[in-house]
Amino acid sequence: MHEGRLIEFDRVSFAYSSEPVLEDLAFGLYPGQFVGIVGPNGAGKSTVLKLMNRLLAPSKGEVRIAGRSVSEYSLKELARLIAFVPQEPEYFPFTVRELVTLGRSPYRSGYGSVSPRDAEIVEEAMREAGVVEFADRPVDQLSGGERQRVTVARALAQKTPILLLDEPTNHLDIEHQLHICRLLQAKANAGMTCVAVLHDLNLVASYCHEVLVLDLGRLVAHGAPGGVLTPELVQEVYHVHIPDIRHPVTGRPVIAP
Amino acid sequence: MRTRSGVLRGVVLLAFLLVSILVAAAVGSVAISPVNVGRMLLSRILGFDSIERTWTAAEELIVMQVRLPRVLLAAVIGGGLSAAGVLFQGILRNPLADPYIIGVSSGASLGAAAALLFFIPAGLGWYGTLPLYAFAGAVGATFIVYRVGLMHGRLHPTNLILAGVAVGALFTAMVSFMMVFKIQNLQDVYMWLMGSLSGRGWRQLGAAAPYVLAGSAVAVLFAPKLDVYLLGEETAHSLGIDVQRLQKQVLAIGALIAAACVAVSGVIGFVGLMVPHAVRIWIGPKHTRLTVYAFLAGAIFLVVADTLARTVFSPIELPVGIVTAMTGGPFFIYLMRRS
Repeated sequence: MHEGRLIEFDRVSFAYSSEPVLEDLAFGLYPGQFVGIVGPNGAGKSTVLKLMNRLLAPSKGEVRIAGRSVSEYSLKELARLIAFVPQEPEYFPFTVRELVTLGRSPYRSGYGSVSPRDAEIVEEAMREAGVVEFADRPVDQLSGGERQRVTVARALAQKTPILLLDEPTNHLDIEHQLHICRLLQAKANAGMTCVAVLHDLNLVASYCHEVLVLDLGRLVAHGAPGGVLTPELVQEVYHVHIPDIRHPVTGRPVIAP
Repeated sequence: MRTRSGVLRGVVLLAFLLVSILVAAAVGSVAISPVNVGRMLLSRILGFDSIERTWTAAEELIVMQVRLPRVLLAAVIGGGLSAAGVLFQGILRNPLADPYIIGVSSGASLGAAAALLFFIPAGLGWYGTLPLYAFAGAVGATFIVYRVGLMHGRLHPTNLILAGVAVGALFTAMVSFMMVFKIQNLQDVYMWLMGSLSGRGWRQLGAAAPYVLAGSAVAVLFAPKLDVYLLGEETAHSLGIDVQRLQKQVLAIGALIAAACVAVSGVIGFVGLMVPHAVRIWIGPKHTRLTVYAFLAGAIFLVVADTLARTVFSPIELPVGIVTAMTGGPFFIYLMRRS
C-alpha cells in the first residue's frame, strides 16, 4: 500500500452476475480532499461509492480503508469511519433532531440513551448543515433541499473521517447546490475526506480538490479539475464539444457548450 | 419534554388497561362490582389475607375461573398482535403489513381446520391439541414464505409480501376445499376463522402468554435498530446495521408472536394492522415508544372488543374478529381523515 492513502482501490473489478460494471480500478485518495466522481450515466460512479462502504463487495481486487481491507472491518467499525448519503434517502415523520440523532447510533451500545456529548455533536451537525431552525419539525414536512441538508447533517453527526455522497445536489436549486458544495469543501479543508458523485461538471470544477472521471467502468482520468476537465476529455467521455473557457476570477475550467 | 410526556402517556395507557381488565371481568350475565373484582384479585393473587370477603363463592368462581383468564388472554393477544404488527410494518416498510402478512394466519387456519375436521371430536377443539396444530401450521407456512422470499441468500421485502399472498391464497383454498367435503365440526371451523376467545381459559393463556410476552419484550430491544432501518437499507448499513440479519431476526420474532396468538384465538383480524397505525399517528414513528404503546393500546382494544363480543347479544357470543373489524374499521377511517 501507499503511505498516507486513506482510501485505496487495488485493481478492483465489480460485476453484477456476469455483467461487468467496473474493471481494474486503481487509485488512492488522501485525507482532507473533496473528491468529485464524474462520468456519463452507467459509468459505475455509484458502484465505486458502494464498494467503499461495503454495500457491494468487489469481484476482483481489494478496497482498503486506512490500509486495511474493508472486508476486515466490522460494520460498526466501518460506520465510525465512513458516513454515506444515498441517492434517494427515505424519510419517515421523525423530527429533524430525532433523525440527525440516529447518526450517533454507531457509537451507542444497544439501549443507551443520548448522552450530553451526543446531543452536542447533533447540534453541531445541524448547525453546519443549516437545519437548526427547523430542528423540531417533522422531516416529511420539509422541502427537498431542506431534507437533503438534514440527511447531510445525519451523516456529519456520525463524525467519520470519510463522507460519501451519491448525487447530493440532485433536485436542488442553485443556492442549495452551492451550500452543499461549500460545506463539503470546508469539511475537506478541515481534514475530512469527502467523495461525491456529481453530475454538474461546473460544481466539480469550482469546488473539488480532485476529480475521478469514469467511463464504461474504467477510470479514464484522475487529478485536479483544472488539469483533467479539458475540452478533449469532455469530448472523449461525453461526446460533446465545448470551448476552452476559464473562469475569469478563479481560473478554473468552465464547462459550457 | 417529549420523553416526559411520553412516559406520562404510557402510565395513562397502563391505568386504562388495568381498569378495562377489572371492568371486563365484572361485566357479564352475572354482574359483579368491579371494586369487588379488584378486591378479589388483591386477596387471591397478591395474598392480602386482611381483605374482607365482600363477594360470594360463586362470584369468585366466575371471575377467577371463567372471566379473568379470558380477559387476560384478550389483553395478551391484543398486545401481541399489535406488537407484531409494529415489527412487520417496520421491517417490510409497508403500511399495509399486518402480523398475518407472511402466511401466519393461513398456515394456522390450515392446521386448525385439518385438526377440527379430521382429528378432533366435535366441540372438543379448545380442550385438546388444536393450538398445537394451528401453531405448527403457522410456523410451517411462515417457513415456506421465507424460503420463497429468499433470493440468493437475501430477503427482499416485496418478494416476501408477494410470497405471503401466494401461499396465503393456496392455504386458504385448501381450507375451503376441506370444508366442502367434511361438514361435521364446520361451526367450530367458522368460529376459528373469524377469531374468537369463547371458552378460553388459563390453559390457553398459559400456552400463549410466554411466547407473546417474551417476543414483545425482545421486540422492544430491537426498536433502536428498527428506527435506523426506517431510513432505508443502504443508510442502515452505513450506520453499522447488518440489514439481512435484522430482517431475519425481526421476521422470526414477529412470526412467533403472531403464531402463538393465532394458535389459541383463531384469526382475529384488524388489530395488528390498525393499532400500530393509530398509535403511530398519536406518538410518532420511534419504535421504542411505538412498540410499548401499541402493545398496551392493542391489549385495551381487544379486552373491550371481547367484552362487547360476549355481552352485547348475550347469550349469543359473536366471534371477536367481527367486533374488531366493525368497531376498528370506522375508527381507523376517522383517524386517517383527521390527520
